[in-house]
Amino acid sequence: MKTPRPLGPGPLAPVPPVAGQTLDAQLHLLDRQVLDSDGVPVTTVDDLELGAPEGEPETPMGTVIPPGTPAPVLTALLTGPVLGTRIFGGRPPSSRLIRVPWTDVADVGVVVRLGVSGQGLDADWVERWIRDKIIARIPGGRRDPR
Amino acid sequence: MILGDLLGTPVHDDDGVRLGRVADARFVVDGAPHRLMADARLLGLVVSPHSWSSFMGYERNSLTQPWPLPQLLRWRHRGSFFVMWEDIAVLGDRSVRLRPGYTAYSPALDRKGQE
Repeated sequence: MKTPRPLGPGPLAPVPPVAGQTLDAQLHLLDRQVLDSDGVPVTTVDDLELGAPEGEPETPMGTVIPPGTPAPVLTALLTGPVLGTRIFGGRPPSSRLIRVPWTDVADVGVVVRLGVSGQGLDADWVERWIRDKIIARIPGGRRDPR
Repeated sequence: MILGDLLGTPVHDDDGVRLGRVADARFVVDGAPHRLMADARLLGLVVSPHSWSSFMGYERNSLTQPWPLPQLLRWRHRGSFFVMWEDIAVLGDRSVRLRPGYTAYSPALDRKGQE
């Protein structure tokens, strides 16, 4: 089926200017490395969670959005076991995804920087577990190489 | 709502005519302020009639090198447009429907990756 062009025959008008930093999800957020406040890698951004702004009711997906409804906001960066679903399609169940709250994000650039230490985050529990249970038992494994 | 459920979703106008698929979601950091960053609100969606995959955003900037990569990717995304949140009537995981008389904007970003 041939896809029609959108409204208007000429070049499209630019988006009305906005005050804040613009982030295109695929270009600026997804797959970016996440560093904690000490510059230590925590994880990568596998997906994003959106929600209604604070104090606003949530509009269920698939229902008509009443005019004037405030736009949803980013509530969390998501990470988790996505390798299988990247290859075979779909996504892990929502309960398997680990959330890094947007309120912990300090800066979005080449990498996503958090304003908190990675030690308290669930996102790197696998690395912490391997460090504490496996690496630490290897002779010399507790010594800082620096 | 998980963004991954939205990317690649078919987009239709009010008459049910298929316009393309959701290629990306654009956010702007100008919401309620917090300790570190303000809320990033959904500004709108980039709709692409031919391909919803994106590779380094060549189709949204004015870069011309390395030839012929930008030219090919721009051709692959020909007819892409941006719709504001205010023009979205239904946001579902199987279909996105736009409001009657929606405005199609250019999806272009500038050299700094901003509008």
